Amino acid sequence: MIRADQLASDARVAILNSIRAHLAESALHEHAAEDRKSERAAENQPTSIALASSGPDVARSPVETFREKLEMVGGHCVVVRDEAEAARSLSRILAELQTTPLRARRIALSDAPSVSRLIKAAEIEVDELTTSPNAADLFGYDVGVTTAQAAIAETGTLVLESESERHRLVSLLPPVHIAIIKAEDICLTLGDALRYVRRGGQPGMSRAITFITGPSRTADIELTLTIGVHGPQELYVIVCM
Amino acid sequence: MTHLTSETFDANARAALTDTQLRGALRKATSLFGERRLEATKSLPNWEDLRSQARAIKDETLLHLDGYLEQFESNATQAGAQIHWARDAAEANSIVCRLARERNARLAVKSKSMATEEIHLNAALEAEGIEALETDLGEYIIQLAGETPSHIIAPAIHKTKGQIAELFVDKLGIERTSDVSKLTSTARQILRAKFGAADIGISGVNFGVAETGTILILENEGNIRLTTSLPKTHIAVMGIEKVIPSFANLEVFLKLLPRSGTGQHLTSYQSLITGTKRRPEDEGPDELHIILLDNGRSRMLARAVTRQSLACIRCGACLNACPVYQQVGGHAYGSVYPGPIGAVITPQLFGLAKAAQLPYASSLCGACREVCPVKIDIPELLLYLRAKITEGPERQEAGGGWQEEGPAKRRRLEHLAFKIWAAVMTRPRLYEWNGKLLRVFQRFIVRGGKIGKVGGVLTMIAPPLGAWTKARDLRPIDARSFRERWRETNGFGDD
Ligand code: SF4
Repeated sequence: MIRADQLASDARVAILNSIRAHLAESALHEHAAEDRKSERAAENQPTSIALASSGPDVARSPVETFREKLEMVGGHCVVVRDEAEAARSLSRILAELQTTPLRARRIALSDAPSVSRLIKAAEIEVDELTTSPNAADLFGYDVGVTTAQAAIAETGTLVLESESERHRLVSLLPPVHIAIIKAEDICLTLGDALRYVRRGGQPGMSRAITFITGPSRTADIELTLTIGVHGPQELYVIVCM
Repeated sequence: MTHLTSETFDANARAALTDTQLRGALRKATSLFGERRLEATKSLPNWEDLRSQARAIKDETLLHLDGYLEQFESNATQAGAQIHWARDAAEANSIVCRLARERNARLAVKSKSMATEEIHLNAALEAEGIEALETDLGEYIIQLAGETPSHIIAPAIHKTKGQIAELFVDKLGIERTSDVSKLTSTARQILRAKFGAADIGISGVNFGVAETGTILILENEGNIRLTTSLPKTHIAVMGIEKVIPSFANLEVFLKLLPRSGTGQHLTSYQSLITGTKRRPEDEGPDELHIILLDNGRSRMLARAVTRQSLACIRCGACLNACPVYQQVGGHAYGSVYPGPIGAVITPQLFGLAKAAQLPYASSLCGACREVCPVKIDIPELLLYLRAKITEGPERQEAGGGWQEEGPAKRRRLEHLAFKIWAAVMTRPRLYEWNGKLLRVFQRFIVRGGKIGKVGGVLTMIAPPLGAWTKARDLRPIDARSFRERWRETNGFGDD
């Protein structure tokens, strides 16, 4: 162990020293060039980055933009007025799926209270409903139901924070993912969402944050777009006003 | 195929040019990616500003790389990650192998990562008896075929679905099918079982945020999410140049990278991982190991011109835009990094001697510079490397690396040749006599009214002169010179 540790600290020191030595060499050789570079860096201080987002895309309501963008990448979006309507639309989605090869007989739920509430209200006929099944069992489920902590309108993206809910695997392993989100949690831009997730700095951040934009996809075989390679092949989002 | 064959680019390229299937596939892929990229850049009114900002962020980071790496290390450690430093490929591989051994690991699932390709991690793990399984569909295909990726973004574009079906029949024992979604779901089924059984997940890193110690990885398939959340141990291999200062910087790069690569506004998934889970009952791995890899990167910092190579975010746009890549494809470059960016970083990472033909694998048209989201001046770099090659090996090796600069040292013969040329050109009489002499001598090398590769006499007797006629003909000198004719028709001479 001592040898490994010793080696490790050697490598650290060597790399940092190499970086410093080569930067110093550069400074010596390229005084003039360096000056130009740092001026340019100063001109472009990355502070005005927030402006970058305001395109024509976000002129309409965030919910409408979100729906449009999500549908563009192959996701489905339903906008509902309240929880009762959300429950009805959830049961409609599941009933429809039950007529397809996707079956939707075994449903995995995240541990969010609103998810259990909704599923109770939805009165659906399924073989199994389990909250947070363990990882090994999750491979056998047909549908995963979760909420999302935020969304990005301009890209149709869901934002999942690991410390708000147990949804890291429920949203990933079953072939269908249904997410429920409150309209007020939809951010306009990517920049807004990034600011939202890092609120309170590192101590406040979730250890795993996942951005989800549409179903899983690949074009690795002859550039043929194929939906649902490792992740879900269907993504439904119910937006609750 | 896992060995570097960049020494033989010319021969590789020639072979690729005769492969019509490959060229068809390349044409389709590069033009599709190119069109989508253009379309996607139009969706942002301030594309050019974003490029400048991204480059400014990278420049600022690279000028203070030591500080940002230390900050990254301390914040990631604070969040429970373990940081390892690796000077070179061997050191990185031995760290991964040691971690795997200590955990009695037998199976590692891998998601696509250029850094692990660069260090040939799979081979190192397999030598230890640990199965390393690529899970990105394209990578899985080429791993089954025993090949290497031919494109940064689409590793298997050189293969037809027929070839892939053949491969699956052969190696996986499935029934023959030409249905792409069937092939995909076969891979999905097989790999899901592996994800469930894997002891270790190995990924790359797109961006490491110094401010929070977060690593960000982008993908479309979901295999990275699986790799980084199912196995108990997650190992991420990260080139030291991947660090960026602040979390807010991610916005710029998340706008540029997917648009430049595939023309998407965002890829399907981004995983932002900060250390390990807070409570043992939470989901996700127990351990996160981040390996900071140098492997020739820190010495690129020594000049502004080479330093810019480290700004690359591996989007693949320059490959698609390059008229050379479009014709010859990725394998011709004989490196894990193909295309224009490969032509400049392969010699820098692995040594000029190993890749001396690559800086010439370009027409210097500048298309790569035009599309690069971080404005890397690849043509400038190509010229710089060509100059290094011309300076000769003595200069390249001096001072422990090829970076060492000095006054250009022309080869002695070349110097002599130019001296003679100057002497002849400034003395009319000598020039005339020289012409007469050449006319006599050329009789021995002219074949069929031209000096060319047919017969190839010039190539044999004077290889440096003959090189020019390898691919084209040289007109012989006329029986009478212009001066002689002038004298005949006008009746007066100039001397
Ligand atoms: S050099 Fe530029 S265009 Fe090429 S892969 Fe890197 S970032 Fe993309």
